[in-house]
Amino acid sequence: MGALITAEFRKILTTKLWWALLIPAVALAFGWSFVASLLTTSIAQAVKDDPTFQRAQLTFQDAPWSVIALSRAINISTIFPMLFGALGVSSELHRRTITTSFLTASSRSALLSAKAATYLVWGIGYGIVIAGFAMLGTLAGSHGNYLPDAGGFLLIALAGVLSSLLWTMLGLGVGALLGSTTGSIVSLIIYAVIAEPIIDLLLHNHIAGSLPNGSADGLTGSTAAQVIIDHLHSPNLSLLPQDAIDALYNVIRVSAGALGAFTWWASGLIFLAWTLAFFLTGVLINRQRDIT
Amino acid sequence: MHDGSGRITVQGLTKQFGPVTAVQNLSFTVEPGSVTGFLGPNGAGKTTTLRMALGLVNPTAGTTTINGVPFGQLGQPARVVGAVLEAQGFHPKRTARDHLRVYAAAIGMPDARADQVLQLVGLGPAAGRGAGSFSLGMKQRLALATALLGDPQILVLDEPANGLDPEGIAWLRTFLQAYARAGRTVLISSHILPEVEQTVDQVIIISRGQTMYNGPLEHLRRSQQSRVLVAPSDAAALTKALRDDEIYNVEALQDGRIAVGGVEAKQVADIALKAGVSVYGIEEERVNLEQLYLNLTNSSPYGGPFQPGYPPQQPPYQPQPPYPPQQPPYQQPYQQQQYQQPYQPPQQSPYQQQPYQQPYDPNQYQQQQQPYQPPPDPYAPPPNPYAPPQDQRPQDYQQQQDRNEQGGDR
Repeated sequence: MGALITAEFRKILTTKLWWALLIPAVALAFGWSFVASLLTTSIAQAVKDDPTFQRAQLTFQDAPWSVIALSRAINISTIFPMLFGALGVSSELHRRTITTSFLTASSRSALLSAKAATYLVWGIGYGIVIAGFAMLGTLAGSHGNYLPDAGGFLLIALAGVLSSLLWTMLGLGVGALLGSTTGSIVSLIIYAVIAEPIIDLLLHNHIAGSLPNGSADGLTGSTAAQVIIDHLHSPNLSLLPQDAIDALYNVIRVSAGALGAFTWWASGLIFLAWTLAFFLTGVLINRQRDIT
Repeated sequence: MHDGSGRITVQGLTKQFGPVTAVQNLSFTVEPGSVTGFLGPNGAGKTTTLRMALGLVNPTAGTTTINGVPFGQLGQPARVVGAVLEAQGFHPKRTARDHLRVYAAAIGMPDARADQVLQLVGLGPAAGRGAGSFSLGMKQRLALATALLGDPQILVLDEPANGLDPEGIAWLRTFLQAYARAGRTVLISSHILPEVEQTVDQVIIISRGQTMYNGPLEHLRRSQQSRVLVAPSDAAALTKALRDDEIYNVEALQDGRIAVGGVEAKQVADIALKAGVSVYGIEEERVNLEQLYLNLTNSSPYGGPFQPGYPPQQPPYQPQPPYPPQQPPYQQPYQQQQYQQPYQPPQQSPYQQQPYQQPYDPNQYQQQQQPYQPPPDPYAPPPNPYAPPQDQRPQDYQQQQDRNEQGGDR
């Protein structure tokens, strides 16, 4: 297994795809978080003067609103590790190197397991870089008052790394399942960027939070929302009617991109289940696939 | 664990792709120590069979084993069997050396092995170039280098001569023969017999997914039965004179000539002279190996109608159409030079270049080949391809061979 993982690492490192996808991931993570935190800062400034919140004496001044920008930037940037994963098996099928890969592996399952282990590491690597640059963008774009503390930062970054690795594995599974580079890339992008956001908007309940994209967004988004809510949680909040509190939490979740999402750990488990479902189906399909 | 025998066994193998039967009930064994040619026209099921043996395609029915176990149970398959299946299995941007290092790592060979095999196949100078810039011949060499990484006991090559120049083919031939002489197994497929004729010792000929011949090339070559067609002034006298000389394989032809099997023209002329019979015309008639192959596979080089799943519509040995002789169109001049001449058995060489001149009557042919004459008679009857017309299935061919080995069943 170690030998096959070494081989998989060499396959990745001897071609340019990994940094061809890492560059836009870095640019998007930094750019998105920078612009979004500028935006959050100005919105927070405006909301701060709202009479309802003033009456509740909520300390908006130092609430960590910029985590919304951070989690959103991470969510959108994980598209690149997803594509990276999607090409893991499908490009081998496309380039026909899968023949030699199967011939040099003790079994197809061994090869796909080695790929899973390899792409897990790469997913984490992409996640660390993306989360790192998203944090830098947030730091650069946000007003100091709206930044979370180190713990909050770390929590969201951790959720981001987890999300990146799960997206990578989901991509790997879909690529193995469909067996076509174009097919898997196009369907993943259309689904994650267009189809599911629309579905989520239409449903905006826990069904949306149970879908792959919804649960992945929930992983980071719910963490971010929790960081803010924990900060807001003060005796003063109970002065508001329960409806208002629910509405406030909902607005925070929606802002963080966690529309209809479960809590971060439930979202993570749901997304893990999706990833495993796609990956295991992909493995099963490839055990039977005729390499002609 | 595998038995280390170096044997490839294919047993009752069948593969259907939807409605198309690519391979039907195919059985054969490939032994170590020789180069085995796996021949058949395009679409005969060669590639599918090889891919099934290598665990890449799942058979619909039947089994294949390598060293006694299915490919998937070899454990370290690339240390046992190396395969050249296609010359396209490379990432265009990955260099040849990197490509080999990837798979050296997968097999557990040291990185230095990558450069070793590159040198071995003559790609040393191109090691740092992306495989996408390679010619087809270079890709074939890189594919061979990949197959050799694990120093395997068995080599399987699918149409390896594709894209190789004549020097490359000559090099490959020497290489594969040396490999087999070292006690290893080499299985090489081709749709052109002359391409591998000089390389192989054993041949398996398949057509429409079924085995048509399986045995030493030498047997097939010996079955290039030649006859002397002679136009004598007195056929009866010459026939008697021949019989006196213990030559019994004599047939009277409808055009008044007589056909004498198993002799040379010179011998017949001498006997006629002794018997005082005038000879008005004498010629040697022969079927060359390639003609034989084309008959067995029942196809022209451009392929007859492919009818998957059906037994051959015609007997495996089919009389050729009358004049003019059909020269296979794909024979390039260099191929004739490269492949055909060196393989002429010495006693036949003066006549080798004669085109096939006269169709055989299949009935006469059947009569001729019985009873079985054991080798070393150079004109021993063909061991198997000439099953009677009613015996069309490959299994019957095996039975025929068995009968022959028992000294004939009559």
